[in-house]
Amino acid sequence: MRAALRKRIAAMIRKRQGEDTLPLTLARRRLYILPTRTGLGFGLLLLLMLVAGLNYANSLALFLTFLLTGFTLVTMHHCHRNMLGAQLVGAIAPPTFAQRDGTLSLTFANPDAGTRYQIAAAVGDAPPISADVPGQGFGRVEIAVPAPTRGIVLVDRLHVVTTHPFGLFRAWTWVHAPIEMLVYPRPHGTLPMPAHFGNKSGQRSLTHAGADEWLGLRPFRDGDSPRQVDWKAYARDAPLLVKEYSAAGAEMRIFDFSSLGALGVEAQLEQLARWIVDAEAQGERYGLKLPSRFIKPDHGPEHRHQCLAALAVVGLEETARG
Amino acid sequence: MADASASLATAERRAPRRWMLRKRPLVDGSRRGLEWASVAFVAGLLLNVDRIPIWTPIAALIFVAWRLMGASRGIKLPHTLFRSVLALGLVAGVLVRFHTLNGLSAGTALLVLMGGVKLLETRSQRDQFIVVGAAVFLLLAACLDRQGLVRAPLYLLHAWVCCAALAVVGYTPSASTAATRVPFDNRAAMVLAARSLAFSLPLALMLFVFFPRLPGAFWAIPRSDQASTGLSDTMSPGSISELTQSYEIAFRAHFEGKPPPPQERYWRGPVLHEFDGFTWKRTSRSLARMEPLQYLGPEYRYRIALEPSSQPWWFSLDTAMGSPSPRAFFTYDYQLVASEPVTETTNYSLVSHTSTRAMVALSDQSRRYDTRLPGDRNPKSRQLALQMRAREPSDSAYVAAVLNYFRTGGFEYTLTPPKLGYNSVDDFLFNTRLGFCGHYASAFVSMMRAAGVPARVVTGYLGGEWNPIGRYFVVRQSDAHSWAEVWLEGRGWLRIDPTAVVEPDRLNRGILDLLPNAVSAPARFVRSQPWLSALLQRWDAVNTWWDDRVVKFNYDDQLRLLERLGFSSPGAQQLGWAFGAGLIGWLLWIAWQVGRSSGSRARPDRLARAYVALCRKLDRVGLSREPHQGPLAFAGVVARERPDLDVVRSLLERYCSLRYGRPEPSAALRIREFEREVKRLSVASHAFR
Repeated sequence: MRAALRKRIAAMIRKRQGEDTLPLTLARRRLYILPTRTGLGFGLLLLLMLVAGLNYANSLALFLTFLLTGFTLVTMHHCHRNMLGAQLVGAIAPPTFAQRDGTLSLTFANPDAGTRYQIAAAVGDAPPISADVPGQGFGRVEIAVPAPTRGIVLVDRLHVVTTHPFGLFRAWTWVHAPIEMLVYPRPHGTLPMPAHFGNKSGQRSLTHAGADEWLGLRPFRDGDSPRQVDWKAYARDAPLLVKEYSAAGAEMRIFDFSSLGALGVEAQLEQLARWIVDAEAQGERYGLKLPSRFIKPDHGPEHRHQCLAALAVVGLEETARG
Repeated sequence: MADASASLATAERRAPRRWMLRKRPLVDGSRRGLEWASVAFVAGLLLNVDRIPIWTPIAALIFVAWRLMGASRGIKLPHTLFRSVLALGLVAGVLVRFHTLNGLSAGTALLVLMGGVKLLETRSQRDQFIVVGAAVFLLLAACLDRQGLVRAPLYLLHAWVCCAALAVVGYTPSASTAATRVPFDNRAAMVLAARSLAFSLPLALMLFVFFPRLPGAFWAIPRSDQASTGLSDTMSPGSISELTQSYEIAFRAHFEGKPPPPQERYWRGPVLHEFDGFTWKRTSRSLARMEPLQYLGPEYRYRIALEPSSQPWWFSLDTAMGSPSPRAFFTYDYQLVASEPVTETTNYSLVSHTSTRAMVALSDQSRRYDTRLPGDRNPKSRQLALQMRAREPSDSAYVAAVLNYFRTGGFEYTLTPPKLGYNSVDDFLFNTRLGFCGHYASAFVSMMRAAGVPARVVTGYLGGEWNPIGRYFVVRQSDAHSWAEVWLEGRGWLRIDPTAVVEPDRLNRGILDLLPNAVSAPARFVRSQPWLSALLQRWDAVNTWWDDRVVKFNYDDQLRLLERLGFSSPGAQQLGWAFGAGLIGWLLWIAWQVGRSSGSRARPDRLARAYVALCRKLDRVGLSREPHQGPLAFAGVVARERPDLDVVRSLLERYCSLRYGRPEPSAALRIREFEREVKRLSVASHAFR
């Protein structure tokens, strides 16, 4: 019953406001404001003071009641003003792996001189995450977006809210800008990688990495194997770094979807993701063969993304493209 | 952050469960919020500290300190069960002390204690808000107790602290807070709270003036725990060896027109009839008839502002006509008695005469009653009275003879008389001959009664200090006095002051001038410094104005004000209109003010404005700059789409060099030139090829 009501209200608001595109200025028309629970409690307190002041004809109590009433109304304006005119200029959700929370990174801009404190945002019913947006500057809010399965997570209803200052009122708006987050399959599986093309040495063990050409260190990325992390450097207060090696010469592997037919689609994709992540981490060249698509062997972050994205949308191509 | 709290939680789980004490990390409230909530609560406590039992604020302060130490040094805090037991124990303590939880002092004590306990369990932001709410409640309690001019600024200050605390509690520092250029610190919170309160001040004043007040109270707070001051309804001069004089104010009297001369400033209080030879008491004859009087002499119209005394006496200048309020009535001996003790400043207006004549003869019953003396006491004075009466031809001559006896009999006025024995009047008249007003009134009345002349003792105040700034009299407890009234045939009750015979100066000067040592050292010091007295008089005048105009502002005053504002027959409806109009005006003003103050959009400089103007001109002819395009990229687009607009391209390039180029001394000049050219530019919508 309540859920249905909320759904209808949400639909009404969407209809009223229309679809949004970034950058988006939070205009008067789309801002809503109501007292918070604290605000209601404070109102009750004021009512009590009023009754007591009237009953005992206590001038000072009445004056202070009126003063605090005025104060409450002023805080309402402040709260509304804190939101009004702020801009949502960026919303980026980098791809993530399934069963791992993705991060939706929102950037707010403040064209005014004064700081806007505690601009918060949330997806769904999660508690809002807040940031201060300095005057003439930007503030970033990073929201965790759960990604249970591979595919595309669509965030099309964003809750932007503030209770600053005083926490007596809550001003909020709904942003209906469709934000897509790509979710790669979870890298999972224990099958060994297929053999190299153009290399006679055959299979390589995953643990074996030292024999290759040392390329250097690069920052840690999602999906990197902990085995490749330079823990010694990390212990010296360096950021998380990953040791990179390049496979010698023109060695390459082709990861073939159909070769894993016995596993079932999702497990197949997970195994492929595992291989792609590991191969990339070892600096190898690899290609991907899917029933509908072939990605030529290559390496590098963009190639890795291309491959993983292709895995993410297997069977979903008609609704969205990676 | 999350990791830290998680590891703390596991640590707590691993540790053996403590029954009493535990570490309690904050959940979602900030430590600064906790500190501010504590400050607001302690401020509220301080406002009330002087009228609750001393152990309650001490206990609350211990709780506050405990909680703060818990937050700062990780000291363990009490567990839920322990807290519940503590709370119950404290409630029991209040009950033992007050025998009730109802009533202002008991309620305040309870609020202070429970606020402290609440603070002890404060972990979340919500808890902190509740503690701030308790602080606001303490403000209400303080207001209900006292509304003096000195306290008003304190109350305002406390309101400010509470609002600032709200701001700090409401602000949860986020991860990005450190990066904020202007952090929302204590100073920012205080400034914001002060500004918000300042904005609400006009509304508060308007509501104060126009919000319809209630004419009367629906219910009253029981306040029985006040010490009583002022006159009592008994008088036993013999038992007092030292009269301590209080400098406290009994009441203030504002006269319309000329005030009475000093010798007529007798303020009538309890009239004492019954005498057991040692102690005078009020009458128990409440049903006696009030006889009509003929009023003589000038009429005095005045208003009394009575200070709380916890006694039902209302004072009037000698004999007043008609009761000033349904809450007070006249006894048959013209004493004004209220139906309830005076617990707050009370105002009433009266008309008095200082001289009267009875219109009917004294009833036999009254005559018997007011000539009664205990049969076995004071034999010598009774004998003396009979002898003296026998020598005089009339009652009035006898009165004069007794007064003469006091004047010439070696009597002396003192506030430190020796104690008197069983036959107090005899002892005074024949042995000690030292006494104050009570001794003389008592002896005189008993001499009158012994000779068969009806007489009674009247207690009250004599004189008063004129405050030239406020134009009123201040009557203090030290002005307390007692005198006599005797019944003379053909005249009625006549006021006789035997003290005035012994010490004539008492009439013209206050008792403190006569006997400066009678009051406490500070009061004596004040009186010895004229400038200080003048200052205090001024202060008292301001205070009185505050009491009359602000504290006592009521429905009638509201209507009077409306009348002065031009409403012909104002009522609640007009109040409502005035109130509504003011409210709307204020709301508009606030919307504008808040929008203006916090939203001051940084104004673009001249160059930027000129650039915007240029872009707008181009937009009109279909050349719109995309948000991602800089001036040079845009110039490229213009050059491609409209090769004829060479001038535009050069303008855009000039903008770029002005904006991003090396600063030059002639930059201002060149910017103005750029501005002019943009203004002069006219772009045709289509190229002519």
